[in-house]
Amino acid sequence: MHLTDLDLLFWAAGFLENLGLLFVLWYRRRARSFPFFTALITLIVIKTVVLYFVLHYGSKDSYFYTYWSLTVLDTTLQLCVVYEIASRVFKPLDVWADDVRSSYAWLLGLSLCIAFGLTWLASPPARTWMQAFATKGNLFAAVLQSELFVAMMALSMDARLPWRTHVAKIAQGLGAYSLLGVLIETGHSYFGVGRQLPGFLILSHIRMAAYLVCVNYWIINLWRAERPARIMTSEMREKMFALQTLVEYDLQDLRSRKKL
Amino acid sequence: MNTHNFYFLGAIGIFLGALLLVAGYYYFQSRRRSSPANWEDLFAKLTWIDRNNIAEVALNLVDESGQPKAADDAGGMELSQMWKLIGGLDGLEVLERNSDVLIDLAFYVQQWYPEALAIAERLRLDARELKWHVARLQGAAQKGNLQVSFPFYAQRAVVSYYRMTRNLLSLYEAGNFSMLADLQRAL
Repeated sequence: MHLTDLDLLFWAAGFLENLGLLFVLWYRRRARSFPFFTALITLIVIKTVVLYFVLHYGSKDSYFYTYWSLTVLDTTLQLCVVYEIASRVFKPLDVWADDVRSSYAWLLGLSLCIAFGLTWLASPPARTWMQAFATKGNLFAAVLQSELFVAMMALSMDARLPWRTHVAKIAQGLGAYSLLGVLIETGHSYFGVGRQLPGFLILSHIRMAAYLVCVNYWIINLWRAERPARIMTSEMREKMFALQTLVEYDLQDLRSRKKL
Repeated sequence: MNTHNFYFLGAIGIFLGALLLVAGYYYFQSRRRSSPANWEDLFAKLTWIDRNNIAEVALNLVDESGQPKAADDAGGMELSQMWKLIGGLDGLEVLERNSDVLIDLAFYVQQWYPEALAIAERLRLDARELKWHVARLQGAAQKGNLQVSFPFYAQRAVVSYYRMTRNLLSLYEAGNFSMLADLQRAL
């Protein structure tokens, strides 16, 4: 497979920026808060290295199978990140908020139906069934992710659940990237995939450029400190439990009212 | 372009348009709601309510600690009396609006008092329950059977509000905040 200078530039820039993001995640101790997100970035770094060596020393088939195997893992981890973000927003007290649980399940079901519907409509011009399956799979994942990010945003606003700064920044980056991903996967489904197609190359470069913007956005925002944490220690939880059960004020208030 | 592709691209276009509209709407909503507000601004949004009336209706159903009363002791208030004390459906709508402000107040405290999270969550859940009750009453009013539904929903809505205000006051009291006196007067 022949790579142009631009391809190599994107590849090298992506690799270095992902390493930079990993450094920020570990050095600023964000990895513990976002294990799936850290795992996703780690996988992308590993994927870049592995594919580089397979491309140079492996066969065309081995590159194909390695690429798509790692892409499936990548997509799975992206969905795990969606879950990670949802659990940070909708589990303010370490359990799913009662009032959003059913709405979230309902929205998840609807999102899956829409993603299945759009994927079913797509008919990518592919040479092999695997290529068609992979193209449809990418479209499905992009549609589902973009839906889930918008659904989470709408649901949290409706229920008035706050987003912590870093969670919001990760979600904004992934949300914007997945929305663009829908457009790119639509292009792939329409034009087909393969480096011999000019449309495929342009879309790939747009995707890489957008990803680099996202990584820069995450590096800057995850480096910055967050507002005071709301995740409670056991001591704080006990304190809050005591606060909840304290009805001293209620009693004082009602006693004083009886005196009036 | 064949028919199949036409449908596919059309569906994607509608999907993306709808998604961007929803995202844009909620993004601007969140920007509007997160505009810097201080205690005084939020406090000014509260509508004054006679808390003795609220307590009288609420305590008809729950005890002083907010726990439900035994079936024999609960209820029994006349509809006309309850309607007068609460201020009718308008009174309940005031409660609903106030509950939104109370959550904003709780969020304001959370910014420098992280322990407020649990109380804020309880307030939020209570406020949503209150809205649910008011929505049912509004639905009943539209169908003309408010007389039947009112005692059932109104009293529970008031109980929700009562519990919520007690929670907020206990939060402020625990934090030794200077604005407690203002809050007590308003609630």
